[in-house]
Amino acid sequence: MIIKDLNHNSLLKENSKLDLEALNLGSFPKRKEERWKYTPLRSLKKINFHNQFNFKIEHLSSLGIPKIEGMVIVLENGKFNSSLSNIIDLMDIELLFLNHGNIVNNSQEPSHKDYFTNLNFSFLTEKVVLKIKPNVTINEPINFVNIISDDNCISNTQFNIDIYENSKLHIRQYFLGSSNSKDGFINHRNQVSLKSQSSLTIDKFQDLNQNFNFCNEFIDQEQESKFIMNTFSASGIILRNDVFNNVNGKNCHSELNGVFAPIEKQHFDNHTTINHFVADCKSFENYKGVIKESGVGVFNGKVIVHQDAQKIEAFQKNNNILLDDESKIYSKPELEIYADDVRCSHGSTTGRFDEEALFYLRSRGISVKKSLELMTLGFINEVIEKSNDSAYKEFVLKRLLKD
Amino acid sequence: MSELLIEIKDLECNIDNQKILQGLNLKINKGEVHAIMGPNGSGKSTLSSVLAGNDNYEVTNGSINFLGEEISEMSPEERSWKGMFLAFQYPVEIPGVSNINFLRTALNERNKYFGIDSIPAKDFLKMVAEKSELVGLNNKLKNRSVNEGFSGGEKKRNEIFQMAMLDPKLSILDETDSGLDIDALKIVANGVNKLKSSENATVVITHYQRLLDYIVPDFVHVLHEGKIIKSGDKSLALELEKKGYDWLKTDENI
Repeated sequence: MIIKDLNHNSLLKENSKLDLEALNLGSFPKRKEERWKYTPLRSLKKINFHNQFNFKIEHLSSLGIPKIEGMVIVLENGKFNSSLSNIIDLMDIELLFLNHGNIVNNSQEPSHKDYFTNLNFSFLTEKVVLKIKPNVTINEPINFVNIISDDNCISNTQFNIDIYENSKLHIRQYFLGSSNSKDGFINHRNQVSLKSQSSLTIDKFQDLNQNFNFCNEFIDQEQESKFIMNTFSASGIILRNDVFNNVNGKNCHSELNGVFAPIEKQHFDNHTTINHFVADCKSFENYKGVIKESGVGVFNGKVIVHQDAQKIEAFQKNNNILLDDESKIYSKPELEIYADDVRCSHGSTTGRFDEEALFYLRSRGISVKKSLELMTLGFINEVIEKSNDSAYKEFVLKRLLKD
Repeated sequence: MSELLIEIKDLECNIDNQKILQGLNLKINKGEVHAIMGPNGSGKSTLSSVLAGNDNYEVTNGSINFLGEEISEMSPEERSWKGMFLAFQYPVEIPGVSNINFLRTALNERNKYFGIDSIPAKDFLKMVAEKSELVGLNNKLKNRSVNEGFSGGEKKRNEIFQMAMLDPKLSILDETDSGLDIDALKIVANGVNKLKSSENATVVITHYQRLLDYIVPDFVHVLHEGKIIKSGDKSLALELEKKGYDWLKTDENI
């Protein structure tokens, strides 16, 4: 990656105790590293990025998303765009922006260091912190929209979500690439903290067109908290999601679901790590890949049950459909168990659609295209159904089916 | 004079280079019910698959003229739009796709072909209520995934329900009686009889005469080694029930 033209955020320099100069980016990931062996970074590596922000989008509707109700926080090319946003003053929510200068304590060192994390921290252009007070339930989803709309622009952004005791929140994240831009890159980091008995659902939608999006997600859960994340990956040159879910308290529920549908040499990558540090927790993973026209999918899920984390129930599942001979999936479900009284399972399937089923549908007058669409819908429905809003579901489905 | 619906001439077809149909001839007029019987492996199910357009079967010779058009090269969906329907011997399970969504898509795809607007939701649901009653299909089954977890009887009823919804010109019932208990058989047969009109025709493919007590055929044909070797009226079916097929095979050999 060519980053000689990038500027450090001046505010970050002033406010942060992070010694940026000392924050060595380290070496660019190589294919021989286990975590990167399926991800070809050649197309990303040759781009000369800039981080000069400018706003190009006039209406969110031009990005092909339906009208978003309620609170909307929009970042475009790495900066907060107030005219596209709809900030509602909610008593129980505290919202802070790095560029408003009200995030003072940014000394937090990245817990997991790799090239893209370091890149994110050292060229951070905007960070949003959202805190919800204890004992509050907010039913309307809060929307976080992260747009790239400028060629060769890199957006290094962070979103911290702190859910205090016994509170409940629903977040929808949109990562969007304008269809008029190419080779832009959103290198994003989510940092989630769930206090005891709190609950957070994140629906994440990625539709980058000819741009890149990497997301590093760190989730820390205290006892009896519930975390659900549904990731829908519709388009992008390379999409990569690295989820690190640390379960630190007893009786937690953790759930990671996803549908990824790469076409035309797109590469969609889901890496997940669930760390069960303590006993009596449940985790569920369900990822579905629908891959066609030389698309490439990756699922690498790891569940680690640490010593003394007894009575853990962990279920991990990845099912894939390859629609033609040119498409690829690398699926690697992993379990590491150091406790002796657990219920864990993992599994992966890859196949094609049943020819008999296709003939059955066609014999009822449904065209090949529509039949494949129906079967795809049937295949991913289980995950789509996790989202309970019918308009959102319909929109996500349309984009995943490239309808 | 009744109007010709389908004419099959000298039909030959292969699967995996093995000859299954070997010069089959059959004419069916509107308003008629034909039964096709025959021993195992005689080509009964192949005939139904070939008529519906399953491309695992290769037509090597002969013609299928359906409503004045040669259809042996036509896609299954186009045949369906023109009025062909096959009730499958083994209806396929399609996980995650609701029965209702499936049928609605089927009707709308046909409407699209004929340049007609999609069917309004209200009319569609009314139609579903009406037609499902015909075969006593449980309301819950309509919203379940297509055939998934259906009992054998429910699957067959679902086939007839689909037939009612699509209102075909030619319905081929491929061993619809297999796996049905006597009560379910009566319900299914009753549904088929109610759908009968002077504008459509039914082909009943079966091993046993029993179904023909309920769906009474105008013609009975015996298929053997990919050819129709004997045709008659419904009394032929009774004769077959008594004597089996062997006497016909010998007949032909003489």
